[in-house]
Amino acid sequence: MIIQEAMTIQRKLEILSDAAKYDVACTSSGVNRKGKDSSIGNSLASGICHSFSADGRCISLLKILFTNECIFDCKYCFNRSSNDVVRASFTPEEICELTIEFYRRNYIEGLFLSSGIMVSPNHTMELIFQALRMLREDYNFNGYIHCKTIPGTDQALIEAIGWYADRMSINLELPTASSLKKLAPHKSRNNILKPMRQIQLRRDMNKDYLGIYDRSLDSKHTRANKISASNTKLLLPSKEDSKNIDNSNQLTHNTTNSNKSFTKELSQAMASTSTLSPYWKPPSASSRYVPAGQSTQMIIGATEESDLHIMSVSEALYDNFDLKRVFYSAFMNVNQDNLLPSTENGPPLLREHRLYQADWLLRFYGFKTRELLSESKPNFNIFLDPKCDWALRHLEQFPIEVNKADYFTLLRVPGIGVNSARRIIMARKNSALDFKDLKKMGIVLKRAVYFITCKGKMLYPVKLNEDFITRELIADNKKLPFGIDKDITYKQLSFFDDVSFQINNK
Amino acid sequence: MNLTKIFVCENSIDGIFTAIYQAWSSGYGHANVKIEEECEKNTYSNIQLFSDYIHVKTNIEQALMVSRSIKTKISLQVYEMVCRVALSNYQGKGDLIYRFLVLGFHIGKDIIGHLSNEIVNKIFKINRYVNNEVHHLLGFIRFTEQDNGVLASIIHPKNNILSLVTPHFVDRLPKEKFIILDGDRGLCSIYIPKKPWVLAEVPVMDSYSYDKDIANGDDEYQDLWKIFFDSIAIKERINPKLQRNNLPIRFRRDMTEFFITDKNS
Repeated sequence: MIIQEAMTIQRKLEILSDAAKYDVACTSSGVNRKGKDSSIGNSLASGICHSFSADGRCISLLKILFTNECIFDCKYCFNRSSNDVVRASFTPEEICELTIEFYRRNYIEGLFLSSGIMVSPNHTMELIFQALRMLREDYNFNGYIHCKTIPGTDQALIEAIGWYADRMSINLELPTASSLKKLAPHKSRNNILKPMRQIQLRRDMNKDYLGIYDRSLDSKHTRANKISASNTKLLLPSKEDSKNIDNSNQLTHNTTNSNKSFTKELSQAMASTSTLSPYWKPPSASSRYVPAGQSTQMIIGATEESDLHIMSVSEALYDNFDLKRVFYSAFMNVNQDNLLPSTENGPPLLREHRLYQADWLLRFYGFKTRELLSESKPNFNIFLDPKCDWALRHLEQFPIEVNKADYFTLLRVPGIGVNSARRIIMARKNSALDFKDLKKMGIVLKRAVYFITCKGKMLYPVKLNEDFITRELIADNKKLPFGIDKDITYKQLSFFDDVSFQINNK
Repeated sequence: MNLTKIFVCENSIDGIFTAIYQAWSSGYGHANVKIEEECEKNTYSNIQLFSDYIHVKTNIEQALMVSRSIKTKISLQVYEMVCRVALSNYQGKGDLIYRFLVLGFHIGKDIIGHLSNEIVNKIFKINRYVNNEVHHLLGFIRFTEQDNGVLASIIHPKNNILSLVTPHFVDRLPKEKFIILDGDRGLCSIYIPKKPWVLAEVPVMDSYSYDKDIANGDDEYQDLWKIFFDSIAIKERINPKLQRNNLPIRFRRDMTEFFITDKNS
């Protein structure tokens, strides 16, 4: 390990952005903030992508590490302490300069600051705090800031940083505590869930204080267990609190032991921060605490967990921790570590894609993990997207009459998404819709056609037969996003094998 | 025989609104009037037989009356939609807006829900198309710092969206002097702190010379940005098709990270 003192800013940026590229989140969404005369920057709730790198991923934020020095030795990580790589660190001033100058030229929407762990989690987070405070107060930066939290950081620091960041995230890394122990020996589940809980409670308190009504919480009315107890009650252990935990127990009542253990960890984390956390004075009375909410990230394919397992964990996080996003990152064996699976044929992109599809179904379509997956079928179908797959197993609920079905029923139709459903509901107020109207409105009928009727009629006389529709859908399965179709190995067709036969056995 | 009256107007919101005012109040009847805007490159306008051409001189007062009635009698949302359509590159947008407003004044603010109606549908689609381009450019516009500290940018959008993107940057960069130039239309927007931003015409010269001036290779942050842009990509996931889908090639000529450095040549 060589620490070079006089490193140019170019070289530092090269090293520390290269090291940060495996962080998935690059969203700048979730908060609307007008510009101020005295400062630079504003923020749009929709988020803005500023560029797209060669891998096709969006560049919205200046995604860098504060330092890539690290005392932790996580097996999957390129910057682990046992790797011999060039180490570099920014100073808070350098980070501020870069952010402001990039921002002025409209290269970026804000800053995404993560870090390796230098000396100790607290030491590193303190430096990060310094940088963020300098950026906000000395450089008057009013744009978007996303800050990573390092597991094991003191509560007081997390409390303070939250006033300067728009979004905070702490990586869950792996779906189970045992995998985490195996691959990231320095991190513990408790260290990850506790800050998450702390930020959640603080956000709720702050929203109550400012009288902000969060519509996003309301719209997720399909959630089985909302945190019903008022926020102040949650700060102190109460009976309702334990009731909630019981609820979540029922919700994720899975036969797999590991899932049970996750619920147990959840309840531990929920109970453990029941004590009052330290208080940091907000920069101004109207400041919002982490206004864009929290996100987290899991590595997919490094360990044995099934899709069912991963999705149950995500669902529990959405329901209990009010996360805005869970990101999935297809595992890449950057260290060629022999404890980990090889990714010679490329990272498992299709699996990642399916998980994101299912994630959307959870957040916007009112689906539950249990509906999509089960113990007998713990992984997603390779050939069909999760919603198609679900619809085919529930043909008894179809076809649906477009002119009568309610919003959430429309959302269950493969091919009809949030926009299409809204448009249908808006348009059918004025006249009964026909297939040609749907087409005109830009609703994709390729998949929907098997599942809907307009004015009581289907477009073609279709047999509602699982095998038939499966075959039809797979026949035009050109819908896979660019580049991940190479994961599928096509088979020679023969008269005797039916594709759906394989799928059923999976 | 009934002659169609064709109102030819300037290609701008005010021009189109003036024509709408005059056509509406002419008393010829909706079926007998047509609006044609002088289009950007004037390539599509076919002189029609059996019709009268009436040249409309843009009149701000009449245009304001139209926009006021849209805002009060239909809705602000419809007004914004109509403005975006008026700024689009759609051929025949003037007449489309006229037909849409005939419906709009009849039905009221619910008009936007009538998506199965041909005209409303068209308006909806053009509006979305313009909106998408605006949203793209909010991200893709690149400023380069000139030697005098002014931030300058050049864009080549399909629709005339300069007036739609500028307010965003005024809000975002209140302390900067900046200029955004539409290289194809000879228009630019200029902002100086504490003053309202203005739209100005510039002579359309060889747009290439503008490109070169604005690119200003001396700005050191351009190199830093390129370094960042290259190192943030994950090599194992390189996917040019996806990149092209998300960031169409037509935008790249104006984006710093895709400039070819001619330092070596």
